[in-house]
Amino acid sequence: MSDGFDVDRIYEVFARQKREDRLEHVGAITAPNASLARVYAWQTYDEATWFEMVVAPRDSFEAVNREEAPFTLEPREEGAAT
Amino acid sequence: MPEMTAEDRELQEKVHDGFLVESEADMTENYKQALITQLLVQGDTELISAPAYFMAARDAPTTNTMVSATAIIQDELGHANIAYRLLEDLGVDRHWILYEREPHEFKHPYGFDQPLENWAELVVANGFYDRAGITLLGDVHRNTSYGPLKRALVKVDLEENFHLRHGEVWMKRLSTSGPEAREKLQDAVDWMFPMGVEWFGMPDDKKRHTTQLDFKLKGMSNDELRQTWLQAVVPLCDELGLDVPARVDEESGEVELTYDFPVQYDPEEKKWLFDEPISWDEVWDRWRERGPMNEEYVNSVRRSRFEIEEMLAA
Repeated sequence: MSDGFDVDRIYEVFARQKREDRLEHVGAITAPNASLARVYAWQTYDEATWFEMVVAPRDSFEAVNREEAPFTLEPREEGAAT
Repeated sequence: MPEMTAEDRELQEKVHDGFLVESEADMTENYKQALITQLLVQGDTELISAPAYFMAARDAPTTNTMVSATAIIQDELGHANIAYRLLEDLGVDRHWILYEREPHEFKHPYGFDQPLENWAELVVANGFYDRAGITLLGDVHRNTSYGPLKRALVKVDLEENFHLRHGEVWMKRLSTSGPEAREKLQDAVDWMFPMGVEWFGMPDDKKRHTTQLDFKLKGMSNDELRQTWLQAVVPLCDELGLDVPARVDEESGEVELTYDFPVQYDPEEKKWLFDEPISWDEVWDRWRERGPMNEEYVNSVRRSRFEIEEMLAA
């Protein structure tokens, strides 16, 4: 993975508060590389004292039971502004 | 407003029956545009609150209070980031949102175009404007038909409540800290209370469309939201012995304004001209014209990016 500042990717953020908790989806951030994704996730989702937080690029998700999984869907068109 | 199609009406019926929209594939174009507008207002309000609060935080009385104010500012930037991230999923370009709009095109309320010049104004902003934020976003959280937003607001609501508590605790503290602090607090309340009343927009009987309610992007009307806010803020001010141009009806608990809402505002003097009632067209003109800090606030959140780009290019 490039560490450059060129391509933004969406990273999904997962976390759990306690050792025995399930890892839960807490949100998403956009970042140009994995290092910054970790920083942005930690800074943005600071509402709890996390036991564990991980990030994964959205485009690395594999849909299992439907072809067009809502979670992994791309926007219909680029740059649509109001 | 755009014409509603048969698909729009079908979707409106579905969301009122409890259907949650989870992605663009579930949306009509009119739903999507209404959601984009709502998220821009939400994100811009969070974003511009940061430089406004930062301006006032420089007057923090101690290092500890500066730290708590800075924590609030960081929360607000996080909330803006969350709203803009949701907009990206709707195909809205983040760079356009942040860097390509003119300052006057941002959609935050007029109240965040005003200078916050001291600690009293910061804590009243927390007490009044963050209360407005909770009122509006709490309603969206409970009622929105857009699943990703509903989930994102869990964190936002939690943190906005901290800001509100910060505001109310400090308002109470200043109200009992001697005549000088009390006067500053009352001065802040004098111009910021009517700003909060305006926050909720046009009264229901003047509004021409109800798109957001029809698509269940929110649950309460402007007047209901304004009344909810008033019923929290006015009793608080009464308790602290602060004057506001409103009174609580003891029987119904409803709050009634004791001035001719809406009225004209003089941003240079930070004074409402209570003897100058105006029309809603004139309010819109004032909002569109933007307030004295509009450009500076917008530029201040953009500045560091350009500095870093220059540094990297050098």
